[in-house]
Amino acid sequence: MGNRTEEDYNFVFKVVLIGESGVGKTNLLSRFTRNEFSHDSRTTIGVEFSTRTVMLGTAAIKAQIWDTAGLERYRAITSAYYRGAVGALLVFDLTKHQTYAVVERWLKELYDHAEATIVVMLVGNKSDLHQAREVPTEEARMFAENNGLLFLETSALDSTNVELAFETVLKEIFTKVSKQRQNSTRTNAIALGSAQAGQEPGAGQKRACCISL
Amino acid sequence: MAKSRGENGPRAPAAEGSLSGTRESLTPGSDAAAADELSSLGSDSEANGFAERRIDKFGFIVGSQGAEGALEEIPLEVLRQRESKWLDMLNNWDKWMAKKHKKIRLRCQKGIPPSLRGRAWQYLSGGKVKLQQNPGKFDELDMSPGDPKWLDVIERDLHRQFPFHEMFVSRGGHGQQDLFRVLKAYTLYRPEEGYCQAQAPIAAVLLMHMPAEQAFWCLVQICEKYLPGYYSEKLEAIQLDGEILFSLLQKVSPVAHKHLSRQKIDPLLYMTEWFMCAFARTLPWSSVLRVWDMFFCEGVKIIFRVGLVLLKHALGSPEKLKACQGQYETIEQLRSLSPKIMQEAFLVQEVVELPVTERQIEREHLIQLRRWQETRGELQCCSLPRLHGAKAILEAEPGPRPTLQPSPSIRLPPDAPLPGSKGKPKTPKQSQKEKEQWEQAKASGQLDKLPTPSQAKGAAAAGDACPPQDVLPRDAAHQDPALQDSASQDPAHHRSQDSVHHCSQESLTSQESEDTYL
Repeated sequence: MGNRTEEDYNFVFKVVLIGESGVGKTNLLSRFTRNEFSHDSRTTIGVEFSTRTVMLGTAAIKAQIWDTAGLERYRAITSAYYRGAVGALLVFDLTKHQTYAVVERWLKELYDHAEATIVVMLVGNKSDLHQAREVPTEEARMFAENNGLLFLETSALDSTNVELAFETVLKEIFTKVSKQRQNSTRTNAIALGSAQAGQEPGAGQKRACCISL
Repeated sequence: MAKSRGENGPRAPAAEGSLSGTRESLTPGSDAAAADELSSLGSDSEANGFAERRIDKFGFIVGSQGAEGALEEIPLEVLRQRESKWLDMLNNWDKWMAKKHKKIRLRCQKGIPPSLRGRAWQYLSGGKVKLQQNPGKFDELDMSPGDPKWLDVIERDLHRQFPFHEMFVSRGGHGQQDLFRVLKAYTLYRPEEGYCQAQAPIAAVLLMHMPAEQAFWCLVQICEKYLPGYYSEKLEAIQLDGEILFSLLQKVSPVAHKHLSRQKIDPLLYMTEWFMCAFARTLPWSSVLRVWDMFFCEGVKIIFRVGLVLLKHALGSPEKLKACQGQYETIEQLRSLSPKIMQEAFLVQEVVELPVTERQIEREHLIQLRRWQETRGELQCCSLPRLHGAKAILEAEPGPRPTLQPSPSIRLPPDAPLPGSKGKPKTPKQSQKEKEQWEQAKASGQLDKLPTPSQAKGAAAAGDACPPQDVLPRDAAHQDPALQDSASQDPAHHRSQDSVHHCSQESLTSQESEDTYL
């Protein structure tokens, strides 16, 4: 997956990171967009985000990754967060079973706020902590399969599968987008939800499509 | 500092740098787990190595996020003058609050002297009164086992607050321990509220200035009087304030307001961290402290004003908006604010001058509340009114209470000689030295505003409550470097200031002479 300059892209895909507090959302974000990791990254309060532009085939995709607080009570303020998201990484900590046990609740939260067609990947993070594992890979994989979710285990700490996770989600989104374009009679029949207003790049940038699936 | 370790305190790490936040991995028998976790040690910063850490005057590791470059320093003499004025106020707090509150406000706007900041915050917030009214309460909470559900979350956050501040950099260190104690105590004090993650940075800032018990009561005041509902279950108060902020923006900066409107940017996308942490995670540290000084005095209106100033200067002109073509770019602009607009002097000036009043905020609050009730139904959070600052909090206190007694944070043994006190008679050598210092001070023309030594002594003898110990901060780690510098450079000068200054003769009816510098 190559990189393009930030200014040059065909698509903007908004992807949200969700999951319990402390599972590693912020570090997945920093690992993917800045190749950074910190044991002491600050508690996320409010909303954080970062971008990275990647190539999928000949298309330049600007991935806009959003991150927010995982603590239960922050659920009350997240509808703005989900608006316009086309992809989601539902992250749990595979060394803490409790963070996996609540995955269904997170899915419900996701579907309550986001488009039904949103691409979702279940991510078991902290795979570097081999001895501390509390969630068997197969169990999580089965759950993902039964619920139509993609699945990967990652380590933001040693980078394992981080690129692959985001790339897979973006590819899946891109595939859906392409199919949608093929299915529509006019090439320009792309739904632009009201939430997307303002995501169009200004003049001087390559024409880009902001997709709502 | 932690003389009483509560139950379920964070365990001291089994080995230096132990990672885990869960209880299980540190119990005996899980050495394999611990060893494995140790092997995955090493964040990027640790890998680069902090062989020799230099700390800035606020306690931040130099070169890290949070540490600032060269700062404006207040002239030492001005600092001393302010200290003596503040000491006078603190020692006669009730009178000052009753009769000269405006003066207190002005002095908070100028900035509280670092050596007295912790104390002043306690007085302003009413935390001091709360502590006096609840003797032993914190210890009781400290000793109790907390709700495991909250403890788990709190533990996960201990190493994530100001990790580049010397106080919080060590896992399991005193700073993190105290943070745990304070946050746990709150979940026990208000079990229906529990723990909200934004309370951690707030508590951390408090702990940088005062011990755990005092910090706890200040936190209580912030959560209940200054920002009620901010940390409660449904986070309704913060949503309301977001709407209020946006609404107030229309008058303050129509350009910014229009842009945010068009881009359909929910206030929660930019003001959540600002407001919930009272800008402790947004501004350079010197600005954070100035904002908090004003915030404790004047309440949430300061928070609103800071937000409005930042929005106005970040998005308030067509030029600035050129870089904000979309939603993402706009929010990005608000997250990487120009250092110029966050700089201490500039920001404080703007905040003080911004004509946004409590009344306007309250009026807007009612409007937004009505709108909420129409579209979303009743609010669940507390309907307690917000108290706008120190005076309101004081006046809301029920019943008569004992006048605030200054409690010196350093207790000297009873036979220790104190400069200028009514204590032991001075040795001839001491009086001679003082006389010399006096002559020196007189000669350099500094004496226009100073009382004579006999006056100062008289005041002390009359039992005027100004224990000299208060001049020196209890937490030696955070001693004002200015103090130390002066001590090394010119001890005589320093001591003469001490002996004469801290028993200021300022009466409530005297004509207040303003600082020579702002």
